Amino acid sequence: MSDAAQETVIRTEKLTRSYSMGESLITALRDADLTIHAGEFIALMGASGSGKSTLLNLLGLLDRATSGEYWLEGKPVSSLRRDELSDLRGRRIGFIFQNFNLLPRYSAWENVALPLAYRKGEFGSQDQLSRAREALSRVQLEHRVDHNPTELSGGERQRVAIARALITQPAVILADEPTGNLDSKTGVEIMRLLKTLNGEGRTIIVVTHDVNVAQYANRICHMRDGVLTEGESLHVAD
Amino acid sequence: MSLIDLLRTAVRSVSANKLRAALTMLGVVIGVASVIAMLALGNGARAAVEATFQSLGANQIQIGQRFAMDDGDFKPTGKTLTFADGLDMLSAIELVERVEMSVSKTVKARFGKNTVEINTIGTTADALEGIASSGEVQPVGWPVGAPLTVDDFISEGRLFSTDEVYAGAPVCVLGYQTALDLFSGDNPIGETIWVDRTRCQVIGVVAELESTDVQERYRSDPNEGLLMPISTVIQTLYEEEPSVYMVVHVTDANRIDEAKEQITNYLRERHQIEQDAEGNYQDDFDMLTRNDILGQQQEAAQTFSLLLAAMATVSLLVGGIGIMNVMLVSVTERTREIGVRLAVGAKQRDIVSQFLLESILISASGGMVGIVIGILAIPLAAALNQGVALLLPGSIPLAFSVAVLIGIVFGLYPAIRASRLDPIEALRYE
Repeated sequence: MSDAAQETVIRTEKLTRSYSMGESLITALRDADLTIHAGEFIALMGASGSGKSTLLNLLGLLDRATSGEYWLEGKPVSSLRRDELSDLRGRRIGFIFQNFNLLPRYSAWENVALPLAYRKGEFGSQDQLSRAREALSRVQLEHRVDHNPTELSGGERQRVAIARALITQPAVILADEPTGNLDSKTGVEIMRLLKTLNGEGRTIIVVTHDVNVAQYANRICHMRDGVLTEGESLHVAD
Repeated sequence: MSLIDLLRTAVRSVSANKLRAALTMLGVVIGVASVIAMLALGNGARAAVEATFQSLGANQIQIGQRFAMDDGDFKPTGKTLTFADGLDMLSAIELVERVEMSVSKTVKARFGKNTVEINTIGTTADALEGIASSGEVQPVGWPVGAPLTVDDFISEGRLFSTDEVYAGAPVCVLGYQTALDLFSGDNPIGETIWVDRTRCQVIGVVAELESTDVQERYRSDPNEGLLMPISTVIQTLYEEEPSVYMVVHVTDANRIDEAKEQITNYLRERHQIEQDAEGNYQDDFDMLTRNDILGQQQEAAQTFSLLLAAMATVSLLVGGIGIMNVMLVSVTERTREIGVRLAVGAKQRDIVSQFLLESILISASGGMVGIVIGILAIPLAAALNQGVALLLPGSIPLAFSVAVLIGIVFGLYPAIRASRLDPIEALRYE
């Protein structure tokens, strides 16, 4: 591993998220301590309802913890306002969803460039296009730049989504069941792509309940009833 | 997002549902068209009245004896409105600045062998000011719109003075044509003519006049006639005291209604008009101000304008609610899209701007269509109203602003709602 791998990208301390449901209080995540270094590929496993999505939402700055603290690249985020979280999310987090979440009626490159469009005044439209092309070529989709999502296969759509997550050079890529809507062959392709990106130094967290997916990770964390168990780093045969 | 990006996004979203957007615009289209037609009718009526009655200044009150139908004839009622009524009004009512008075009578004027039957007008010394300010006539060949002074209306000699009016001096000023008819081109100043059975010295000749309204020039000749001091006319040409026509100038145009009331009380007292059993007064005089004329003329246009205003209000309201409804549907339909945008870094104001711009786009497009339809419908509205319509250029930006405002007002709530969506819920939305 390179020197960059030693940098701490994510650190949480007693991260807790509870919801009030009528009279009762449900704690979806309890006292999660997690440290993730740059260049890691982590699988977050657990049954549905175990709290893994809750943790992913917190790590992705989509949600706020009830208590505990979360440092993203050394910066505490619990006191940030909604728009500050949006800004940080747009710059430092890349999302990959199970259902791709591409905008219909927008071409592949426009979808990929969307995170840049929200960074006011930083990227001109020509700049956006060239960066989107570059990101699309990273996922071998240079021939699909002007296609609409409806004209693409499931695997291609997910690769567009990966390009969208890559374009901002984020600190971490969060993938929520990235192969859940794909056939197993395409799923393998996508996981290999993620593995390649990890090899290029990208920090990736994949949420899954599929052991075949988890095997691409070099560390597996388990969630059960809101409690996180940090796994050991392991070497995975490709 | 930059404004151009946002605008592009809005255009794309709206054009993805063209039919829906077009139907949503309908209310705004009708509303804005009504606004345009309404403004055109109102302006038209106002302009028509102002053009016709510019002779009556804002600080002026016309007073004349009341005429009523009697035995199939219009006959004067009550007591005569006298020269003395006018003279004393000046000292009796503080708000009255001056009183122009006139009587007119057809007379035979004779000089040597030449005789003409003409109209003689007995006036106060400010007769020419009245003519000049009326704007109805001008010296022949006068450049249109060039400023005129009282002196421009006299070609030779002078008009009689206030002293001559009070004294009842036997002097007269001839119309241009009348001077030619009587003197065949000789200088009339200083000569004495016969007006009926009164001798009268010519002290001036009015400039050759023409009507400012070209069509009017064929109908009347403003150059035939004779001006004399009103007192001279009353004393020498009438057997009975005639009724005079007055134009009262008030010191302050803003207090014209107050002046009207005081004049009414003054004349009722002088003419001994008492309240009848029902509490009404049987006045023997009529008063008219510019506002009265405006009011009468605009009444008809106003009814129609009111109808249009009601239509505009209802259409714009319905149109606005339609836009709000469609935008709420749109926000719901695109919940996931909003979630994605939030996930990749959109801030609340980005989402607000996006949806607000969409509703403004719908209402502004409706506004533009409405303006075109409104302009096309103006002749129809004018015909229905038997009136004139005048589209002022300022009406178009005004109507357009109304449309944009509708988009903002009714788009704001859906837009804010969109921006407050929880990103997690939005991303999970099916």
